[in-house]
Amino acid sequence: MAGIKIKYTKTERARQKKILKVSERMLPLFEAMEKSLMATINTIAERIEEIREQIERNRKAAEPWTAVMNDSWVNMDEFISVNKIITKAVDVAGVRVQQYERVDFNVTLPREETPLWVDDAIELMQEQLQLLAEIECLLEQIDLLEEELLDVRARVKLFENRRIPNAKMAIRKIGQKLQDDERLTIATAKVVKTSKKEGAGL
Amino acid sequence: MVYLMTSLPSLTFGQEPPISMDEFNEDARNQLSAKHFRTLTLVDLEKMDAKKGGIKSVSTLVNDVKHDLAEVRNAKKQNRQVMFGRLPKAVLSGNPLQREENIMKWQWEELDTIESGKTFTLTEVMVYKLKLQILLRLQSFDKSKGAEVLASVVNPSKNEEGK
Repeated sequence: MAGIKIKYTKTERARQKKILKVSERMLPLFEAMEKSLMATINTIAERIEEIREQIERNRKAAEPWTAVMNDSWVNMDEFISVNKIITKAVDVAGVRVQQYERVDFNVTLPREETPLWVDDAIELMQEQLQLLAEIECLLEQIDLLEEELLDVRARVKLFENRRIPNAKMAIRKIGQKLQDDERLTIATAKVVKTSKKEGAGL
Repeated sequence: MVYLMTSLPSLTFGQEPPISMDEFNEDARNQLSAKHFRTLTLVDLEKMDAKKGGIKSVSTLVNDVKHDLAEVRNAKKQNRQVMFGRLPKAVLSGNPLQREENIMKWQWEELDTIESGKTFTLTEVMVYKLKLQILLRLQSFDKSKGAEVLASVVNPSKNEEGK
């Protein structure tokens, strides 16, 4: 408030009251937005954790047979790679983010002589790659949501620490000044009246 | 042929390969006639084509296995029971590694049958090469390297960063 010049007028008081009214109405909305964003980020973080656990479960389930993936007759790179991660834009807690849809794979079908384990490896790798792609999308969502959360928190702080207290102080000061002015006017009027009476009595 | 076969170490399924394929080929080149060596080079369990030569019984074995593998894939697609032509159904039991080992063990036994009674013949040399291939392939099944292959496909960017 220090350094801000206040116009001690009724118009300014009305303007400050309007600012206060709007700010007090906006603050709960931003607070709700902040809570919603935090809850959404937590939910996404939990989902990421779940997916990571799933990836680990898959890895452990395959552990007894991963040795075969080093088969000197097979080059797994030839069979599977990610072409593209397909996403769709959605609004999450008011923020536009990309939601994971599916992974478009480049898969070469095993030939007749290809060892059978390659089919299982392709399935496992597809599953793991899909889960990792979903994590990638969710991490990007968290980045965007955290950016928005910082913005919302800055707004909440602005309303809580600046706008509302400033408006309240301005209204109070203007009120006091206007009251003082009114009293001064009345007092001056009384003095003038008394002086006139005394003048008339002489 | 006799000298070659007596000079080669014996092979047992599941053992560490006692010689490399290069060593075997070198010995064979030195001790076989050019014609026999050419025939030997056609015998390859991994790449052999029944039409290209080698021993008929071995190329039939390779082809039958190919057809049976195709049958496993078709049966899975069509959600029906597998109807094997040659492979025993038991080979399908266990995880993918065990399945592969079962198939290789069965191939080994089939090769035993093919070579029986054919001591010191080209057939025995060919079977020796195929058995050596089986051992070398079995040896390549390595848990930590396999895990690296999985990681390299599943998370290639991470792997590159690690390098």
